[in-house]
Amino acid sequence: MNWPTIIVAMLPEHLLLAGIVVLLCLEIARGAPRGAYVVSLAAVTLALAAAMWLALGSYDYAPFPGHFSVDTAAASGKAIVLLLALLVLFIARDDFGQGAFPILLLSSLYGVCLLLSSDSFLTLFLGLELMSLPIYALVLLAYRRPESAEAALKYLVLGGTGTATLLMGVSLLYGGSGSMALYIFAGALQSDDTMARVAVMLVLVAFFLKAAIVPFHAWAPDAYEGAAVPVTAYMATIVKAGVLLAAVRLFGLAPLSPRMADAVALLPLASIVWGNLAAMRQQSLRRMIAYSSIAHAGYLFYAFLGDGPVRFQAVAFYVLAYGLMNVLALAALPRDGSDAARDRLENLRGLFHRAPAAALMIGIAMVSLAGIPPFPGFIAKFLIFRNAIAAGYTLYAVLGLVGSYLGIYFYLRVIQFLFMSDAKGTAANGAPGRLALGAGFICLLAAILLSVFPGWVIDLL
Amino acid sequence: MSDAALLNVVLGLPVAGILAIIALPARADDGVRRLSLGVMTVQFVLTALLYARFDPAVDGLQFETRLPWIASWGVYYQIGLDGYNILLILLTAFLGPLVVWGAFTAIQKDVKLFYSMVFALQFAMVGTFLAQDLFLFYLFWEAMLIPLFLIIGIWGGERRIYATLKFVLYTAFGSILMLAAVIYLVYSLETTSGVTSFAFADLYRAELPLPVQTVLLAAFALSFAIKVPIVPFHTWLPDAHVEAPTAGSVILAGVLLKMGTYGFMKLAFPLFPDATRLLAPVFGTLAVVSILYGACLALVQTDIKKVIAYSSISHLGYVMLGLISLDLIGIQGAVMQMVSHGLVAGGLFLMVGMIYERCHTRELAAYGGIAKILPLYSVFLAVLTLAAIGLPTTSGFTGEFLVLLGAFQAAWPHYADGTAYPLVLATSAVAGVVLGALYMLGFAQKFLFGAAKAPHQPFSDLSFREGAILSAIVVAVFALGLFPDGPMKTTELAAIQYQRLVSSVRTGAVASRPVPLPVAALAAPSALSAAAPVESAR
Repeated sequence: MNWPTIIVAMLPEHLLLAGIVVLLCLEIARGAPRGAYVVSLAAVTLALAAAMWLALGSYDYAPFPGHFSVDTAAASGKAIVLLLALLVLFIARDDFGQGAFPILLLSSLYGVCLLLSSDSFLTLFLGLELMSLPIYALVLLAYRRPESAEAALKYLVLGGTGTATLLMGVSLLYGGSGSMALYIFAGALQSDDTMARVAVMLVLVAFFLKAAIVPFHAWAPDAYEGAAVPVTAYMATIVKAGVLLAAVRLFGLAPLSPRMADAVALLPLASIVWGNLAAMRQQSLRRMIAYSSIAHAGYLFYAFLGDGPVRFQAVAFYVLAYGLMNVLALAALPRDGSDAARDRLENLRGLFHRAPAAALMIGIAMVSLAGIPPFPGFIAKFLIFRNAIAAGYTLYAVLGLVGSYLGIYFYLRVIQFLFMSDAKGTAANGAPGRLALGAGFICLLAAILLSVFPGWVIDLL
Repeated sequence: MSDAALLNVVLGLPVAGILAIIALPARADDGVRRLSLGVMTVQFVLTALLYARFDPAVDGLQFETRLPWIASWGVYYQIGLDGYNILLILLTAFLGPLVVWGAFTAIQKDVKLFYSMVFALQFAMVGTFLAQDLFLFYLFWEAMLIPLFLIIGIWGGERRIYATLKFVLYTAFGSILMLAAVIYLVYSLETTSGVTSFAFADLYRAELPLPVQTVLLAAFALSFAIKVPIVPFHTWLPDAHVEAPTAGSVILAGVLLKMGTYGFMKLAFPLFPDATRLLAPVFGTLAVVSILYGACLALVQTDIKKVIAYSSISHLGYVMLGLISLDLIGIQGAVMQMVSHGLVAGGLFLMVGMIYERCHTRELAAYGGIAKILPLYSVFLAVLTLAAIGLPTTSGFTGEFLVLLGAFQAAWPHYADGTAYPLVLATSAVAGVVLGALYMLGFAQKFLFGAAKAPHQPFSDLSFREGAILSAIVVAVFALGLFPDGPMKTTELAAIQYQRLVSSVRTGAVASRPVPLPVAALAAPSALSAAAPVESAR
């Protein structure tokens, strides 16, 4: 074994692991450790730096050939995920400075990193489970609310179903080929064999479930609503990014056959339409974000209609832009008031007059999520639909764009609440915490970078 | 500083304005107002300077900047002045300071946000006119949505939320389909010629079969037709105009509506010439319907703002008629009509805003004999009313007359060939002139003359600020009416280029369609495609 390479290639993972170990030791030694938050912050920051170093250095090596490899795509994917995680940690300061949150977050992140480097279904499965299991507990962390237990249970059961479906598909693939390698899936995509097709469908359904694609989306609104804000942010951004980036590894570079393309695009299309329609009726902000994330998962799967490296570019740019804007919106939410009161969309009424900076941040996030220029959401969406049309799927692209039009209304409704209504006597009045606002500013700066120099970022990916 | 750099400064000034406003302290409302007026004035002066240096004899872009932006997609930051946009840029920069100055007293709530949004809108509008790259154009085009959404929604009238949502949802729908068409167009160009480019100049060379052209033209045209607006896509306009604050109405009528006609002239028609010629009767009919329908509706309105809103629909119908006539005089008339309507309708909306600030109602029935109460105000109103009708010596005359002349000139040869329809259209458009006189004079009569009445009397006549704003507009109106020669020279080469592009045949080699189009079943009308000479494949 080549130890130096293992150490270098897995540096982000090692740093996260070190963070987990330190946190556990602190927990054992002192009960409720004060420094837990700082340790987790340091671990994620260092891991982010390591991932960026690997990505910029075009590092390409497989420490465990056939199971775990690092290339530029994997490293930059990890950098995106870790950047978002760092921002989520900033938001979490006020609610979960200590306790189980940092440990669970780091464990889940370790899972995402594993997922992004996986070369075999073994690692993929390990990563996926390691990512998901801590989240079930994280959803429960908002124990103040009875709905949290229900949400966590629902998430656990449906997540378990997804895992089972994935395993079934993987075992069929293994039965047909005798190999656990990830590229078997890409081969099965092109195959006409019935068993291969069933296997592909099962794996696809598992990914649809994890990414909350209609009709496998039912867990998302409840889980998002039941969880506390930072956990919602984590699920909406990092989990989605992890699942989709893993799907890019799974699909490989080859173009889809027209038949497969239908399978890959039809449900996401339904997801776009339904997510955007259902979001219009929501009174709870987190449920609205959940339905919006269902729609965005739909756009993301559209990226697979294209082929070659643009697939990764499109997904990576999209999850970055989408994740930043989601974190921005959640970071800028007013802090005081009960958790349930804070979650009501109505409470955003007239926020501009109470906390102008926060209102502007949420407003920009909404415009960007709606895909309206000049914010990066538009460029991300353009990238996705460009690939779909370039690959010849014009009809899907047009339908998807019309579906995205449906979403404009509810994003604008939030802006209407923020700027165009007068405040009623509401519970949530105050500005967000300083650290959360800082996270918001970082998101804003990154968003400006993404919209002014999109070419530069795309070329990096 | 070189002229190209100056043009970038003109584009960038509004952004600088926003940053400066953010930097000002929270309660410095007067400071914000003065700063905004200053920045807008500087922008106008610089634009006027560029206009003076603009060489009408140069065919193509001047003061051009072209930098790679998203290199791997072939997207460039490319801006420049040409005959298409020079007058519209000048109009935008001219109205900017007037809008800002006009809002000094009307806007008392969230002043910083208001002027930031006016700057954001100005940035997007100037950018849309200057862009020479389709991606850039689309970016600026869409970026106009949110500032105006906020301007109408925050500072508007009672039904502002309804009006502003209607405006955004209408315009966004057009844009979404245009986006699909933009991407499809660029990828067709890439597959047929191997050039990945969003530059207008490259896209003008794209060869597409007629059915594809027709579908793409429909997508572009829908987006632009909603913006113009052409009947039957116009229903958002009266609501938006009525509910918008004065500044919003002025920008909307003065500049934003021209985005639609500019889009037709710069993009939709020249990009898809064969489909344009095929559908010319449709566009001509819609233009004339807009002229007549807008005029008829203006006749029966009881709200002053609605009278002007519907008259806008009518006046922009002339622009469309001029553009689709493909006659050189008609095209130049269309450009003049765009500028003239921007000045006249902008001025009229400012005047409605001034009386509204005094009387707090826009009901026409509440007023009468204003000429006795506000003599100075009435003089300006009378002049702008006459300009709207198209009285000779005013800018309205130049535009309307040239458009009608062009429409008739284009119709005669068809009539000689046995097609009477274009002539019928041109003749019907003349009826619009009569209707225009009817509703504008009817409005002026009820408003200015008769027994003197107005709510909330007494009030003072125009202040210095208001008088200065209106004087500037009236001077421009007469300048354009008396000396149209100079401005028309600047647009002449562009009009010739437009005429040449739309007359060209670009159906390309038959059946070399690279990418399947969903609506491929749309049959090409056989007579026309058979008659069109097929250019050899590359």
